[in-house]
Amino acid sequence: MNIIFVEKWKSQVKKGTLTFIVLNVLRDKEFYGYEFIEELKKLTQIEIAEGTFYPLMNRLKKEGLVTSKWVEQESGIPRKYFTLTETGKETLETMQTYWADLASSIKKISQ
Amino acid sequence: MKIKEIQFKETASQRIYRSYMKRIEITVSSLSKSDQQDVLLEFNSHIYEGLARKTNKHETDHLIDLLEKLGEPEEVLKPLIADKKLEQATRTFNPVHLFKAIALNIGNGISYVVFGILYICLFGFVILIYFKLKNPDQVGLYFKDDSFMLLGKLNSEYMKNPNVTEILGNWFIPTLVAITLIAYLILTLLLKFKRSINKH
Repeated sequence: MNIIFVEKWKSQVKKGTLTFIVLNVLRDKEFYGYEFIEELKKLTQIEIAEGTFYPLMNRLKKEGLVTSKWVEQESGIPRKYFTLTETGKETLETMQTYWADLASSIKKISQ
Repeated sequence: MKIKEIQFKETASQRIYRSYMKRIEITVSSLSKSDQQDVLLEFNSHIYEGLARKTNKHETDHLIDLLEKLGEPEEVLKPLIADKKLEQATRTFNPVHLFKAIALNIGNGISYVVFGILYICLFGFVILIYFKLKNPDQVGLYFKDDSFMLLGKLNSEYMKNPNVTEILGNWFIPTLVAITLIAYLILTLLLKFKRSINKH
């Protein structure tokens, strides 16, 4: 087996599916940045360079898939909460359908 | 919203934190005030929330771990700055923003290289205006036997050729200024258009 090839492939897959994963995590609940990254680690064992999360969210916001709001805290250091927009939810559904189709095709050919 | 500084027990931690925040500040300094503030607030909140999680680690170690996981601000913020800069540039039509934005986005696709080259060509017109002012007799739009020959500086040997005539005269600078402005406007609108296509 070519380990280096597999590792490269894995990192490409992760990169390509990161938005899909992020949107899925945000589907049912709103999160603030640090909490989101914890949740992502818990659910998927994916560790991203945490700082890249914020540029990614900015891009999703610009695409109209996500909104955010600052919520003041007692500590005086506010949290920014991210939620899916209606467009985000609809987009995610379409992505999920595509993903399911792709997964079943791959299953067929890899059997 | 004001950015509240996180307080540490150890001076070492405080200094590491301050220097990290300073690096973010420098990295985002080309963005608008509100975007700068937003990024700083986000990272500050991330650090604060991370530190609030229970750990057996020493404060300074905990902070260093957190910052390492966040990554180098100069690196992780690159895509954000490239995005925001382009947004700002096509909104304001400011040439300084435009050049910065194009330079930041060159890595994002061949089309930005093409835009870069076109803007540089445009800059050539501006240089031509400068040469006309310095050298009014030798710079112009030249025709030879009624067909286009040259836009630029004429060789001295052609100067004596009676078939070669400069046709714009005193209109050379106003015409070039007008063409430059119109081309700049069209090019920037195209860039804006390209971005909106990318979005959809």
